[in-house]
Amino acid sequence: MIFAFDFIILIFMVVAAIISLKVKDLLSASMIFGIYGFLICLLWAEMGAVDVAFTEAAVGAGVSTVLLIATVYNTKRKSSD
Amino acid sequence: MLSKVFATIAVVITGGLLLFGVYDFPSFGDPNSPPNAGAEGGGESVSQYFITHTYKDTKVPNLVTAVLADYRGYDTMFETVVVFAAGIAIFCIMRVVGNANDPRQKKEREGMHSFTYGDHNRIIIGTTCRVIVPIIQLFGLYVIAHGHYSPGGGFQGGVLLGASFILLALSSDLNSALKRFSEYNYFKLAAVGILIYAGFGLTSQFLGENFLDYGVLQPLLFTDGPEMARSHSMLGVEIGVAFTVMAIMFSIYANLASQGTLKDGL
Amino acid sequence: MIVSVISAIFILVGIVFFAGAAIGIIRFPDFYTRTHAAGKGDTLSSLLVITGFALYQLNGFESFSEDWPILLVILKLLGVSIFILFTSPTATHALMDAGWEECSKPKIKEGRPNHLGDDSDQF
Repeated sequence: MIFAFDFIILIFMVVAAIISLKVKDLLSASMIFGIYGFLICLLWAEMGAVDVAFTEAAVGAGVSTVLLIATVYNTKRKSSD
Repeated sequence: MLSKVFATIAVVITGGLLLFGVYDFPSFGDPNSPPNAGAEGGGESVSQYFITHTYKDTKVPNLVTAVLADYRGYDTMFETVVVFAAGIAIFCIMRVVGNANDPRQKKEREGMHSFTYGDHNRIIIGTTCRVIVPIIQLFGLYVIAHGHYSPGGGFQGGVLLGASFILLALSSDLNSALKRFSEYNYFKLAAVGILIYAGFGLTSQFLGENFLDYGVLQPLLFTDGPEMARSHSMLGVEIGVAFTVMAIMFSIYANLASQGTLKDGL
Repeated sequence: MIVSVISAIFILVGIVFFAGAAIGIIRFPDFYTRTHAAGKGDTLSSLLVITGFALYQLNGFESFSEDWPILLVILKLLGVSIFILFTSPTATHALMDAGWEECSKPKIKEGRPNHLGDDSDQF
């Protein structure tokens, strides 16, 4: 564990989470959600939980982004709130 | 506006309850906490038990896989069932079967181009994906089979295999991916995956032990001892998990991308 | 020792190219030039950094009979770099192709010749 590295990743994670909730364009929101998943994966790999990080890299950053984009493509792109 | 206020209140209350819940937890890396030092009165802790006994019991160097597929096998089985149920739920919500008057069937997509290998615009993407997909599938098989010795296992390998089919569907079109892995096949494979998992459990139950107690499968697997029987059964269970995860990943993508018609995807 | 220095040089040059790619994404004017910066810089810098890691692994290598697992690690890292060499430019190409299909307009200075050819009337 390196404290500075952890701290930077956690700050980026909070920023990515808030932006993905706030942004109106749903395609950007799903891309930023993918970035959030990748940052979690990085944090887990850095903490030594390589198995969990591997799952998160495959599911959170890879497949779930594709599924979200497929959904956005078939519905509408602008958020209504 | 009012709904946002209520949502904020709900989030704050839930977050407060969660923080209140973790208030009593031992701090990170505390050597005297119960998971690390054992229960009060000198009992052996859970972490210590796994670290000292896993290799002796199962001959699996990767403790995570051993805990996931053997000691916590019941949990993992129902995780797989949850994945299967998610696929079935998406199927029930999205799938449109054969009604020509359904507006979703008729919907014309503006600006869509057919992605085919022959199309000169897509030749770079098509060729690269044709080369990359077998490599991804080989890596997925490696992750499943080598999950005992290195990070990996059924879920990760299954997701990689499913992602390779999704890549095929993205780079060409959904129909050419469905030609290789049809709807009938993927749901059959998803059910077979869970049946493999439950079959290992039931077999050990029929042989007179607890559900998912793999050590008793030794005479069926022709291994040297119950330890190797547990190791090999873990591999079988991981293969079942990988089947289900791969099939369900692709089915969710196919249903979401084509609005349930399975005609033309993204 | 010399291997460490060489690998450090590789990694540093890779980081410089990463910085160039990041600055390019922010500073370039239109979609195509930004994607160009991302694709070129990202591919080259990833290759350099991973090659630097592979060279760094050679540090403890003394005899083949004892240290052969290090060669396996190097082989895996080189495999990753070859994978990136093929996939990253293809991803950039796919992105640019999608932008072209969506009629993203390139920024061309007034009075400069337009080399878009017959396709330029799609805008």
